[in-house]
Amino acid sequence: MLGTLLRRRVRTFSNTIGHWSRYECLRNSAFGAAGFGLLFGLHDGFYRLLKHLSGIELIGLLLTWKLTAMLLLMTFMMVVVSSLLTALTTLFYSYDLKFLLKAPVSLRAVFLDKSLESAFFASWMIGLILVPYVGAIMRVRGLGMGYFLAFSASLPPFLLLAASFGIGFTLLLLYLFPSARTRDVVWVFSSLSLTVVYGLARLAQPEKLVRPDALRAVAEYLNFLQAPTAPYLPSWWLAEALRMAAEGDWRGWASRTAGLWGAAAAVYGLLMALAGRIYFIGYSGAQEGALRRREHSFRLLPEQRLLGMRSAAVLLWKERTTFFRDVKHWSQILLVMGLVFVYLFSIRRLPLDTAELRGLVSFLNVGAAGFVLAALGLRFTFPAISLEGRSWWVLRSAPIDVSAVMREKLVFSGAPMLLIAATLAAMTNWILETDRFTAWLTLGALLTVGFAICVMGVGFGALFPNFLVENIHQVESSVGGFVYMAACLFYVGLTVALLAAPMQMHFAERFGTGVWNSRPALYAGAGWLALNAVALIVPWRLGRRALENHE
Amino acid sequence: MIRLEGLGKDFGAHPAVSGLDLEVRPGEIFGFLGPNGAGKTTTVKMMTGLLKPTAGRVLIDGLDLAADPIAAKRAMGLVPDEPFVYPKLTGAEYLRFIGELYGVPLADIRRRVPELLEMFELVPWSGELLESYSHGMRQKLVLAGILLHDPKILVLDEPMVGLDPKSGRLVKDIFVRLARRGTAIFMCTHVLEIAEKLCHRIGIMIGGRMVACGTLDELRAQSRKEGRDLESIFLSLTGGAEYSTLLRHL
Repeated sequence: MLGTLLRRRVRTFSNTIGHWSRYECLRNSAFGAAGFGLLFGLHDGFYRLLKHLSGIELIGLLLTWKLTAMLLLMTFMMVVVSSLLTALTTLFYSYDLKFLLKAPVSLRAVFLDKSLESAFFASWMIGLILVPYVGAIMRVRGLGMGYFLAFSASLPPFLLLAASFGIGFTLLLLYLFPSARTRDVVWVFSSLSLTVVYGLARLAQPEKLVRPDALRAVAEYLNFLQAPTAPYLPSWWLAEALRMAAEGDWRGWASRTAGLWGAAAAVYGLLMALAGRIYFIGYSGAQEGALRRREHSFRLLPEQRLLGMRSAAVLLWKERTTFFRDVKHWSQILLVMGLVFVYLFSIRRLPLDTAELRGLVSFLNVGAAGFVLAALGLRFTFPAISLEGRSWWVLRSAPIDVSAVMREKLVFSGAPMLLIAATLAAMTNWILETDRFTAWLTLGALLTVGFAICVMGVGFGALFPNFLVENIHQVESSVGGFVYMAACLFYVGLTVALLAAPMQMHFAERFGTGVWNSRPALYAGAGWLALNAVALIVPWRLGRRALENHE
Repeated sequence: MIRLEGLGKDFGAHPAVSGLDLEVRPGEIFGFLGPNGAGKTTTVKMMTGLLKPTAGRVLIDGLDLAADPIAAKRAMGLVPDEPFVYPKLTGAEYLRFIGELYGVPLADIRRRVPELLEMFELVPWSGELLESYSHGMRQKLVLAGILLHDPKILVLDEPMVGLDPKSGRLVKDIFVRLARRGTAIFMCTHVLEIAEKLCHRIGIMIGGRMVACGTLDELRAQSRKEGRDLESIFLSLTGGAEYSTLLRHL
């Protein structure tokens, strides 16, 4: 029976590819090539890092494997947290579950089919990142394709084991508390876990690996290097397997890999046995709606007091109400807070000794913080139109213009985005004790970047709407999301390049090596205005037209 | 009140609707029938501004939908084939939202929402999130939403699906009363009995074209089926002769 279930996936996949139009073939090939380029860039970065580490006398090898163990531990934890969310949606809320559970298929077969799907979606992207890293190890150490095959044999059970934690946890939680409210708890818990994992990864200060002088004593440093990184977790077993394979100890590699496969088989066997007893109880409970009466007073809405009786006010009220009632969305705020904290922590840890260096970093912060804002735009602003979902007909058939809907989305995500932009700029400048000119320039630049990223987010979101998506991740990882992110990065890069001219003159003036020259400053200012005009107008207009014609 | 002039829609090389001419007058209930894939929902979507026609135009209360969509939409209420509504709003909040979108004064919203909720027996559920509503409850809520702004034109795509018998009867009576007050109603349905009893005129669509249109008597004349019911007329017009052969596969 499981074979039939798996065959339907293969058939769906082959039918999807078989029905691609010429345009879709070209488009997907282009994005495939872009993805490959991204992986190659990562590989190059990893190669440079590992080359540098291996060049350090005596401890170069130790450093490489320590970094590998830390990376695998991070990968493991990311897959665990990611699987919490995917297990929840695939095991308990997939559209096809009603069909599968009505069919004469054993519950265990459905569970295994869905848990494999969950493990795949939780791990494929994170697992893919390991490929360029392993490629870098192979290049640095001159290893052949046999090593890559060994890695390919050891990776799947590692990812399956990581995903099994999330699957098992969700299974048990829904069994013990079979209600829709548990779904909300899992969402908050996973967002919180991801924030903690992210924060811990930063607080572990991996930069110490490349700066041995940062640790007080050599003995302390060597202890840090030699200590196993979480030896009871599969990440350490995989790190050991990779190390042994690299050293030609194939017997050691085989025993570690067999251990990983054995553990994966045992854990999934246990989960299957457990699922036969408890899966349906959890599934049944998860379908029950959480009833909690909310009385609506027909008084003026807060937005109406602020904006008057225009449709914009009621659209904004609807957006605010639905956002804060949907735990999937508001729980992401925890991640944003974690991101801002880690960002500012990283700024604080930078070894900057001179005022000029601090000024330079403050300026470059426009680029780095711009990247953070673009990532937030991809998560919150870009999907906003698509998240109207199947209720889009309500707005489309109502007597309002699509521009009104777009403006409302802009206001709703623009206000917090500007607050975050201002926080990142002001806090960074305060930490770095930046001079007044640089502080005002970077604050103004980041506020403009934040606003433009929001406008582009709504514009591109309207240009690539998908009202049939099941979750926000499908919107983010779509072609439109890729185009939006690429446009944002291009915009941020150009902003930094254009503002470099006044910054250069400011530095020259401070060092006494030059004075302000109005012509380059004028050109830079005009270029910056033109860039923002294009960023603010073009995606918005294209998006509005696309949304008006959307079918 | 509703006028379709040479309306057409192509999806790539496939014509979903071709050269559709139709007029629905004030106070008239027009039934729109056809087999699955005939182009009924595509027509509804073009009439309500959810799809752009490839050819022709839609006039709503004398207003060209393409030229003046806001005013045209204000005169119209839609019940779609699938009543998807915001899952994180309550029933009362949804009606408030619809009222505000269509410019109903707040005093009227305050008065009408409880009345409509009571009429559709949704009062016990008015404070619950819509994600906990059944299909029929959501259908009733969408109907309450269009009654709140009291449009001159109703466009209904399978409005009876999911309704219990009592609600179904109520909705039918509402349509009849609204028509008497001068509302033009355009209704897609597969329930021939409802079309037969409720509609003043009926149009039958096959393969994107209107193959028959008129009163029941006129349709009988067109199908040359004297004294037969709408089901027989429909089957004869849509290839009913092959119907008996289909049963061989059972």
